[in-house]
Amino acid sequence: MESKMENAVKVLNLSKSFNGQNVVRDISFDITKGEVFGLIGPNGAGKTTIIRMLLDIIRPDSGEIRILNDRLSEETKNLIGYLPEERGLYKKLTVFETLKYLGALKEIDAKERAEVLLEKMGMIEQKGKKISELSKGMQQKIQIIAAIIHDPEFIILDEPFSGLDPVNMKLVKDLIMELGKEGKTILISTHMMDQVERMCNRIFMIHKGEGVLYGKIDEIKSRYGKNTVLLEFEGELKNIPGVKKINNSGNYAELILEPGTDSQVLLKYLAEMIRVNKFEVSAPSLNEIFIQVVEGT
Amino acid sequence: MSKWRIIAKHEYLTNIKRKEFLFVTFGIPLFIISILGISFFLIGVEGHNEENKIGYVDRTGLFDSSNLTKYNDEELARKDLLDNKITNYFVIPENYTATGKIIIFSSKKNFADNMKIEDQIRNFLLDNLLKNEPSDIIERIKKPMNSEYFTLNEKGLESEDSGFTIVLLPLVFSMLFSLSIFASSGFLLQSVIEEKENRIMEVILSSVSHKDLLIGKIIGLGALGLTQILIYLIGAAAIILINPLALYLIISQIHISIPLLAAGIIYFILGYVVFAGIMAGVGAIATTSREGQQIAVIFSLTGSFPFMFSQFIITKPNEIFAKALSIFPLTSPITMIMRLSITDVPLYEIIISIIVLVVSAYFIVEISVRIFRASLLMYGKKPTIKELIKYVRQG
Repeated sequence: MESKMENAVKVLNLSKSFNGQNVVRDISFDITKGEVFGLIGPNGAGKTTIIRMLLDIIRPDSGEIRILNDRLSEETKNLIGYLPEERGLYKKLTVFETLKYLGALKEIDAKERAEVLLEKMGMIEQKGKKISELSKGMQQKIQIIAAIIHDPEFIILDEPFSGLDPVNMKLVKDLIMELGKEGKTILISTHMMDQVERMCNRIFMIHKGEGVLYGKIDEIKSRYGKNTVLLEFEGELKNIPGVKKINNSGNYAELILEPGTDSQVLLKYLAEMIRVNKFEVSAPSLNEIFIQVVEGT
Repeated sequence: MSKWRIIAKHEYLTNIKRKEFLFVTFGIPLFIISILGISFFLIGVEGHNEENKIGYVDRTGLFDSSNLTKYNDEELARKDLLDNKITNYFVIPENYTATGKIIIFSSKKNFADNMKIEDQIRNFLLDNLLKNEPSDIIERIKKPMNSEYFTLNEKGLESEDSGFTIVLLPLVFSMLFSLSIFASSGFLLQSVIEEKENRIMEVILSSVSHKDLLIGKIIGLGALGLTQILIYLIGAAAIILINPLALYLIISQIHISIPLLAAGIIYFILGYVVFAGIMAGVGAIATTSREGQQIAVIFSLTGSFPFMFSQFIITKPNEIFAKALSIFPLTSPITMIMRLSITDVPLYEIIISIIVLVVSAYFIVEISVRIFRASLLMYGKKPTIKELIKYVRQG
């Protein structure tokens, strides 16, 4: 049945190869207007290639792309904001000149909005400074402002959290949530799957150029059942009966249960072995689901 | 509105403030003028202030002079030279009429002085050898011709430039043009590589097409080159206006006609587009600016062939060699400017060379756009020739 929701992006049977190597293979997905959508997968999976094809920076070998119900044109490009993974700005221009120029390329006069956004991101005092005089974190913020300087309908963020300190990471997260509330369509591409888990409604997971999972995060998780225990503990974890796999990170662990394992029995067993600070029966994390999909288990 | 205009405006305004632009536009001409000025000044100072006092020892008994000091004893001459009473003396040996040999002694080494002294000695020798001839004949033997050239064609008689301006004018004219062509296309190379290294290219390309980006850059920096030429012309006009001697020189010797200027501008624009297109392609392929410069040198060297062979072009502007260089698109703009400023180039040759330039400019830009699109974002990886051919075909 055709969805009633309007699509912001429609990707159909998209493929691309470089030098005989299939980087993206027969990929299809839709992004609904107004949703925060996650494009996730490990580094080198083909995420950036897909994004570059969405923006017509590189051309697909085959397949179809519709953005805001249209083929990509100069006009549709004006409705898209893009934060690339490879960040960079003109070193010799001032912050204001940079924003004005990048706004002009989207065919808007960015003067007023630049001031508003600089104010909001706590950067108004840097307005007249050259980009080369700014710290790396400040440059990142300018880049993010540049991506939304023209108030775009559809925003593509490629690895938006890479290289950010915790303070700026929170700032960016808040901004994404705010833009989401404003009804913007947002595509977040990242290899940090647990980041997306909390922000996106739906995801498309890609591995070695092929789509492996697609849909609502809740639905995907429920498909894998509540077979996971999240554990905070003190002590040393050893082999545990009924547990298929342990993702151990010292004081914190994710236990994947074998079918039929009773979590209450497990809790008793663990309580004798270690000091349990937190015990939560949950669906597996996207990370774990990804690993299971890739390993074919 | 086309987005190439925004790019062009941005490129023009940011590059006009570049130190490199200011240096090429003002620094180099000022440097050349000051070097020329200083050397003229120095020659003038030496020539006027220091008189050479020359003595001679004549062993043949044939020579006599009113303005040179005669010594019968060479020892005396040597002593006077060491005491700085004279600056030079020369000895005319007994067998002079058979060998022409003259032995010259100086108190110091000075090439420019030697030429002057030789002139003085030559005059002294000729005056003595020809003392029985009438004075006007002696003058003619000393300077047998004062040449003046004319061209005879359907339009009638036209006076031509003397040798000095024939060589100098086309060279200076074409040098300024090529300076602008190379500088502006060099800026284009830098700007492409900088945007690649800055990683801002991807942001720009999410707003404009590859073609608009490239065309915007070519037009913006081309306008910069034209600005530079305009500054050169205004500078030249200013020099002419404030210096009556230069004005006289220009009017009497140099004929920069309006058609030549128009042809110059057309060749500048086309030549620039060819080089700019190439530089854009080079910039897209190169992974670092150093690598870009290395590849670009191949093309700039080819482009400066007309200077390396300027002697051939200027002395034989209508031979096959000059004709070939004025058709090949990388050399034709400069070669044609040189030829046009010294000779009448048949109209059909101009038309052929302009057609070749237009067609190659079109294809070079088209090919560069394709290479640009295919290899621009392959950071750190230079495509092979085979891959490049594939990109161009796919485009």
